[in-house]
Amino acid sequence: MSTVTAQTPVPTEPASSGPLLRVAGLHKTYRLGRVDVPVLHGVDIELGRGEWVAILGASGSGKSTLLHLIGGLDRPDKPSGGRPGATIRFESQDVVAFSHAELNRYRCRDVGFVFQFYHLLPELTVTDNVLLGAMIRLGRFGYMSERAALHETAARLLDAFGLKNRLRHKPAQLSGGERQRVAIARALINDPSLLLADEPTGNLDRKTGAAILDVLAEIRRERGQTMLMVTHDPEIAARADRIVELVDGRVAAQKD
Amino acid sequence: MYSPPVYQALLTRRYLTSKVMPLLASLAVVLCTAMVLITWSVMGGFLLNLTQAGRSLIGDVRIAWPNVGFPHYEDLIQRLEEHPEVEAASPIIETFGMITLLENRTEGILIRGIDGESFARVTNYADTLWWKPLDEPMQKDKAGDDVRLEPGDRDLLRRVYDDGLSLTEIDPDTGVRESALVLGIEVGGWNVRTDWGGYYPRVQFITGSDGSSEMQNLFMPAGGELTVLVVPLDSRGRPMEAVTSRLPVANEFESGLYDVDRQTVLMDLKALQRMLRMHPAKRVVRSDRDEADPLGGFFEEDDTANAAPEPEIVEDPGRVTAVLVKQADPDGDVEAFRERCRAIYAEFAADHPDVPGAGSIGVETWEDANRMMIGAVKKETGLVLIIFTFISFTAVFLVFAIFWAMISEKTKDIGVLRALGASRMGVAWVWLRYGLAIGVVGSLFGGLLAWAIVTNINEIHEGIALSGDWLGRNLTGTPWNWYIWDPKVYVFKEIPHSIEPWKAAFVLIGGLVSCLLGALLPAARAARMHPVQALRFE
Ligand SMILES: Nc1ncnc2c1ncn2[C@@H]1O[C@H](COP(=O)(O)OP(=O)(O)O)[C@@H](O)[C@H]1O
Ligand SMILES: [Mg+2]
Repeated sequence: MSTVTAQTPVPTEPASSGPLLRVAGLHKTYRLGRVDVPVLHGVDIELGRGEWVAILGASGSGKSTLLHLIGGLDRPDKPSGGRPGATIRFESQDVVAFSHAELNRYRCRDVGFVFQFYHLLPELTVTDNVLLGAMIRLGRFGYMSERAALHETAARLLDAFGLKNRLRHKPAQLSGGERQRVAIARALINDPSLLLADEPTGNLDRKTGAAILDVLAEIRRERGQTMLMVTHDPEIAARADRIVELVDGRVAAQKD
Repeated sequence: MYSPPVYQALLTRRYLTSKVMPLLASLAVVLCTAMVLITWSVMGGFLLNLTQAGRSLIGDVRIAWPNVGFPHYEDLIQRLEEHPEVEAASPIIETFGMITLLENRTEGILIRGIDGESFARVTNYADTLWWKPLDEPMQKDKAGDDVRLEPGDRDLLRRVYDDGLSLTEIDPDTGVRESALVLGIEVGGWNVRTDWGGYYPRVQFITGSDGSSEMQNLFMPAGGELTVLVVPLDSRGRPMEAVTSRLPVANEFESGLYDVDRQTVLMDLKALQRMLRMHPAKRVVRSDRDEADPLGGFFEEDDTANAAPEPEIVEDPGRVTAVLVKQADPDGDVEAFRERCRAIYAEFAADHPDVPGAGSIGVETWEDANRMMIGAVKKETGLVLIIFTFISFTAVFLVFAIFWAMISEKTKDIGVLRALGASRMGVAWVWLRYGLAIGVVGSLFGGLLAWAIVTNINEIHEGIALSGDWLGRNLTGTPWNWYIWDPKVYVFKEIPHSIEPWKAAFVLIGGLVSCLLGALLPAARAARMHPVQALRFE
């Protein structure tokens, strides 16, 4: 349906073979009782390696839904009425066809999530929150044998985000901006190819939000991290390399 | 190889130390396991005491023909002891009589005539003898107050102990060894029971017939003498003239069964046989009365039919009312052993026309003899256990309700775990492990609580009784009796106070399983949660 315009390569993008992520013909319909609520109807996006793309859309336009589908937390609509099924290609893999186990693995290793409301586990320390992804990735013995290295990685990430002295604190002892930085560190612990951020500054004041965006920019510069960020704020979206506008469940326009 | 991820253990640990509600569930598990374990231990212990007390009193099986008794028992004992399944057998006479205590108080009493040596082999008679020298205080006698520990009394106690074993005592006047009594420790109330379960002789002022009063140390084995009265029966069971005998007291015994200790007097078998006319004796018989015909006196036959024959001398063998038998294998099947004894008796009866037939003689185990009481206790134990197990299902529901609520509260966390790649099973395991942890904590502390209460149950009982007494005195001026375990009612002087390891294991595992059961549905609910809905949950 909608066409994907050719991408302008980003200067910092490393040489690579094709896009990291290609989404095409993505439909998502929720059922509310007997009523079908179509949220996404035919979204097409491509994401190059090392690119930082912002998805801009009004509240309720289906941004989070899109992010959840890309991150393998939910499944797109099945093909119906002659309409072909959606495509979500991540590197060479077909995410739509993934089994439960493959989805778990994909969420664990290939993508990292950052949420608007941080979603840190309140009972765990900052360090343990950051290490959670690694604990899930590795079995007991694997984790134990890599424990020291992982703790060092976590400490380095937190240090880079200015949380050096907060390692043993609980989330409740941190400010909103600090919590979001912990959440970003948690998303990065397994070194995912794709970072998905759902309104990462949506719950923060302007100044703190800007600092979070600085952190994201820093990550992209340092690590060449591919990032897909969702926001309803054009000013925030402007920090990205490219903006994809989502209107009524479709990609309306793209600008650099 | 599968190794469970670390995050489950970590979350379980953190939840366990940071949440109050689940600890309440744990507390419920503590109380339920403790309650079930205490009941089972105390009532089961009571049952065990009952059967063991039986073994210590009558051995495993009693072959009995009460009152009149049966002859040729030596032969029966020999036949029994030749059998490899039989450890030992001992003859005994059990009869009712009267005993005259101090100041001529007279009481009805069960008199058991025993042969000390073989009786000690069949029962734990030697252990029950109270007066013997001790090297170490009894377990509960922490202060070492036991009078039997006195080094100066060792020789006396040693002599009293030996006298108790043989049921004889040397008459200080004549120097002749004569038959003696061994009294139940509570008979006559001469001994004061201490709170740690021991006894010491009472000191009492006796008022003589001339009005003078005299202090007396009521240590019966030292010079005490009592009068025993029994009524012998003739060979057809008719009572003859009462016989009294004054006998010295050799020792006292403590069986642990209050009724027995209160109402039993042991006596040398031979002496009792003589008193009851059951001893071996020669007898002159006029053969115009047929001894074997009990109706002989009623139908006088024509005297002319048979002329008066020569008087005849008959040898009457000694008789006893029972033979007690002990099984060689202490863990062997008692019922099977009883049937074995019955078979041996049948052979014996076949060879002796003058003993009761194998079909009518009583062959019983202690459980048979007390089946009313033991059966009642068994049923009661089962019933109470079933009730308490039902009550314990409240723990399951409590865990269930608390976990259900917690999973609602932790919905976001579950969404985050799923977003970070945790599988459904992984999330379910967090909750199952958590349930298991609560079960482990609850069961362990429940087990500890039960252990603490059961091992100290007698002290606790004493404390409750004392506080009732104190409260009553202060509030109403009359003491309140809060003794729940009255030895007069409950046979044993002490509440059973040990926990069998297998019972503890069973109950603790039951507590664990209950918690897992309670956590099962909530865990399944957590596993089935849709990650996006979990994350969007408000
Ligand atoms: N589980 C659901 N059932 C029904 N409707 C839903 C569900 N989740 C989201 N929606 C609807 O989908 C639309 C898009 O939601 P969302 O993706 O959260 O938008 P955005 O993140 O852009 O604010 C909203 O109208 C919302 O009400
Ligand atoms: Mg949203």
